[in-house]
Amino acid sequence: MATATAAVRKIIHSPKELEAYRDKLVKKTKKNSRIVRVCIGTGCAAKGSRRLYELFCEAAAASAQAGSGNGGNVVIESKHVGCHGLCELGPIVVIDPGEILYHSVEEPDVAEIFRETVLGGRVVERLLYEDPKTKEKVKTPAEIPFYNVQKRIVLKHNGHIDPTSIDDYIAVGGYSSLGRALGSMEPESIIDQVEKAGLRGRGGGGFPTARKWRSCRRAESPDGIRYLICNGDEGDPGAFMDRSVMEGNPHGVLEGMIIGAYAVGASRGYIYVRNEYPLAVEHLKLAIDQARKFGFLGEDILGSGFSFDIRINRGGGAFVCGESTALMASLEGRTGEPRAKYIHTVESGLNGRPTVLNNVETWANVPSIIGMGSGEFAAIGTEGSKGTKVFSLVGKITNTGLVEVPMGITLRRIIEDIGGGVQNGKAFKAVQTGGPSGGCIPAEQLDAPVDFDELTRLGSMMGSGGMIVMDEDTCMVNVAKYFLGFLKSESCGKCTPCREGIAQMLAILDRISKGEGELEDLDSLHVLAELLSEGSLCALGKTAANPILSTLRYFRGEYEEHILNKHCPARECKGLFIYQIDPESCTGCGICRKNCPVEAISGERKAPHVIDQAICTKCNTCFEKCPFGAVMKV
Amino acid sequence: MPTVTIEGKTVTVPHESTILQAARKAHVWIPTLCYHPTVPSLGVCRICMVEILGNDGAPGRLVTACNYPVRRDITVSVSSERAAQVRKGVMQLLLARAPDSGELQELAARMGVRGTPYPTVTESQRNCILCGLCVSVCEEVIGASAIGFAGRGVERAVAAPFRQASETCIACGACAAICPVGTIQVRIHTDTGEAEISPFKSRSKLLVCEECGIRMVSVPVAQAMNDRLKIDWEEFRHLARLCPECRRKHAAKALGFGAGEDSVIPLEKIQVNEVNN
Repeated sequence: MATATAAVRKIIHSPKELEAYRDKLVKKTKKNSRIVRVCIGTGCAAKGSRRLYELFCEAAAASAQAGSGNGGNVVIESKHVGCHGLCELGPIVVIDPGEILYHSVEEPDVAEIFRETVLGGRVVERLLYEDPKTKEKVKTPAEIPFYNVQKRIVLKHNGHIDPTSIDDYIAVGGYSSLGRALGSMEPESIIDQVEKAGLRGRGGGGFPTARKWRSCRRAESPDGIRYLICNGDEGDPGAFMDRSVMEGNPHGVLEGMIIGAYAVGASRGYIYVRNEYPLAVEHLKLAIDQARKFGFLGEDILGSGFSFDIRINRGGGAFVCGESTALMASLEGRTGEPRAKYIHTVESGLNGRPTVLNNVETWANVPSIIGMGSGEFAAIGTEGSKGTKVFSLVGKITNTGLVEVPMGITLRRIIEDIGGGVQNGKAFKAVQTGGPSGGCIPAEQLDAPVDFDELTRLGSMMGSGGMIVMDEDTCMVNVAKYFLGFLKSESCGKCTPCREGIAQMLAILDRISKGEGELEDLDSLHVLAELLSEGSLCALGKTAANPILSTLRYFRGEYEEHILNKHCPARECKGLFIYQIDPESCTGCGICRKNCPVEAISGERKAPHVIDQAICTKCNTCFEKCPFGAVMKV
Repeated sequence: MPTVTIEGKTVTVPHESTILQAARKAHVWIPTLCYHPTVPSLGVCRICMVEILGNDGAPGRLVTACNYPVRRDITVSVSSERAAQVRKGVMQLLLARAPDSGELQELAARMGVRGTPYPTVTESQRNCILCGLCVSVCEEVIGASAIGFAGRGVERAVAAPFRQASETCIACGACAAICPVGTIQVRIHTDTGEAEISPFKSRSKLLVCEECGIRMVSVPVAQAMNDRLKIDWEEFRHLARLCPECRRKHAAKALGFGAGEDSVIPLEKIQVNEVNN
């Protein structure tokens, strides 16, 4: 690593040079008065936004060739940017000046947008966002509730800058916190700032970041080497916060890491990122190369005498590798399995050296803390949880997407105002936070504030920020079963309680969801849950029972209904409900009868049909095929 | 040196000793399965969990006695309700996994655990509880690394690479000797003169005493010992091909005595099954 950086001539040698470079950039960008920003976050890219970006580039090139046609000296720039947040309505295209947001843009729209908005300065009404309540069309993100309830610190530059351009990042103030930290702050005072800001680990544990850094700084290292790790092994189902940050603003993560490394005295850093995140890996690689070239990584950073470099390690996809000790084992080339943490990793972590490991989002918060000052940062949030938290809002929610909210905001505001409520007008049932080890929070608790301690009190946890919304058609026994099934296949199997206990609990849940459960099973689940949380080796096992405990706590009646009445109230568990045809709605078209694979349906043409329950195998075909919604689950 | 007060008895132990070492010094019994003094303690079976009591009524902390390093004065309870519950629960889970291990049942009885309320839901390879001692001893003590863990979670199993017979196994039998539940056995195939480490399917020829024909250690073990000793002396090499009994007779003869009387040293603890196939 060191030789690679030494070979390249650095561009920036001091904080002063950095500021001069930034001034030059800002002056230059003023001329680019028209900018088309196309989101190429994974969500929008899946809907073809990369092609849109190419088309905009072609259009811009063509109009530049045409020259005077667009008014002479106006420069048009097309940018691809990181996740804008409103993934549900992707691809998102934003045009400056005016910050006009178009959603669900398709290829044929490009020419019109270019002609009308970019060149003509007029708005294409049909592509604007329509407020579902007022039915009014709105132009800018600031007018859309999805955006205006949010508070963006980590995602501040996401969607604005080109993640592959270090100039873009520098132009919006990037690396100025690094300049300040290296130029005028002592390592200890950086840690003090982070402590005053009240930053807690965003990976889920919520451990005070400054305490971790201080312990690492003070820990003895046999050869003076300290390591710094960025945990980008985001593995929770339905979570994509870290991916979006790495994809959309990789330099923000790097800047946080370099500041952190200076604070703890680390010389080597690793970013452990899932191999399933190819775009994140690509952008991070590019960002590291650029940072080395500019002199933000390598020897004698910004003339401070401090040296630090970062490597990327791609994970093999094991969920448990998100656990710090398992991650370090994996980095060392061993099987990714956790070890006992009686000796903390800040004392003896990677290769037996003091190691600080923080999550992507934690690192991405650091430049803002140094930039805005700990006071301003700590003013956001609650007593015990400061700043903001990024969530990925998924499930049966209207606005699926990436959101960043101030700590202390209620779950209701996130789900109803930002998320736009439950899809298709269904009733809200529960929200699952904290990933597979988190818990389900019911409607009665929706006014609870988002706060590390509050969510734990409710039997869930902050986790890394996955938020899965469930509607009335979701069976909570099935939800618990799903998450436990996930954990069963992701448990490393090293310690007895996790390996055997999860399998036992899953076997019980399986019985309950088949209608073979007994009331005593609920007691057994409690006993096993206790055993896992007390006896497991790592946090995966210790929290594995949370999905069961929280659903039992808030939805015990639903479990009992499965056991006592052999009935699934959400009508999801096959065999615990029946299909019936509503004679009022049935038109006697015969589609269900023709499609039934076991000939369980009978009826005359144009007369209500009937399902013979003795023959029905509950395959759901009639329910799906009926064009009149006459087949009911009861 | 920190002191450990365990079940009311106070002992002083060197810094970073384990709670288990302190307990043994205080003559307090803590059940163990994945612990063995010759290999590093990984604390995976969780059967040795004890409670470090909090100060002034603060909640205690459950830790594994085998690898918790003592760095300050602590008070430990083995018999606390919390710790006993966890140990019992762990034993019940293990009994469900490995219902036919006599060794496990013996330990359960000593712990006062009567049977298990759980059905067998995970498949074990002949009652293997995945304590990992065999893997550790093969790597750390023998240096062969012939076996390791394959699979993850409930699929986890001890096996040689690709679940095939190992090429590096020297059939020393250390894994069989250290196995706490009798999963691993050394089988002697009298017809082919081979030792098999079961269930790993590795086989090695047994060295046969050049004089009396009795089967001794496996050929690779004898080879490994010779390599380690690095003695290039023809008579030594010849003596190494004899069983201890014949060697003794040799020595006695050389000294002018009659033949020695004692028999071969028994291979303690190693479960040896004679198989003829």
